[in-house]
Amino acid sequence: MANSIKIRSQRRDGYTEVKLLITHPMENGRNRDANGDLIPAHFIEQLQVKLNDQLILTTNMAGSIAKNPFFTFRLKAGNSGDRLSAEWTDNKQNKDHAEHALD
Amino acid sequence: MPSRRLFLQHSGILLAGALLTGKSANVRAERLAKHFAADDFITLYAQLIDQRTVINSDKLNLILPKIAEDGAVVPVSIASELEGIEKLYLFADKNPTPLLAEFELTPLIAPQLTARIKLAESCTVILLAEYKGALLRTSRWVNVMRGGCGTG
Repeated sequence: MANSIKIRSQRRDGYTEVKLLITHPMENGRNRDANGDLIPAHFIEQLQVKLNDQLILTTNMAGSIAKNPFFTFRLKAGNSGDRLSAEWTDNKQNKDHAEHALD
Repeated sequence: MPSRRLFLQHSGILLAGALLTGKSANVRAERLAKHFAADDFITLYAQLIDQRTVINSDKLNLILPKIAEDGAVVPVSIASELEGIEKLYLFADKNPTPLLAEFELTPLIAPQLTARIKLAESCTVILLAEYKGALLRTSRWVNVMRGGCGTG
């Protein structure tokens, strides 16, 4: 699950816009494959975003978030060089983590 | 022996604190699992609101397409000028998993978020915000052209 997270940030006037793209199937357990068999549920349950190790945003979700989840949010602060990190955990207890330095 | 007494008192407090945090983490995980496993919107909504007053608010903006061509990927934006929103809940009343997402904000995050959701069929998307002890609500109707099997 390496590099499943892409983080981009853009500093604007007085805030920083952050974009997060995660590669994940987000299967809700109700879809069927080509043979008509149910595809087991496999979705991210929690996404945590930290700024310099301080938790700033927690998103809890399930299979109603679209495949390859894409989130944007607005950071009120944000200085050049601040470390932004994101970590997700899914219902199979897989995890991935990525870091990004604000420009 | 004041210092010994103090020590005992403090260790008691620490122990209680440790027990509480451990317990609250479990309670939290259970609560989340229950909410996201719920398949009936009305029951889930009543549970979440827990008899608190809900105020329809024009201070919350929920931006969605009026017509969604593909229910598998529907962009949604949440925007508000209010300072101090603690939590945002996003629902779709006709989805098999009606709770789409729960955002726990902190003072460093402005309530300006976007996400991409699945909608199983034409439905009302509802946004609830926990704000200074009150619950604010807004909603939008979305026509879904192709819900697709198993979305949501």
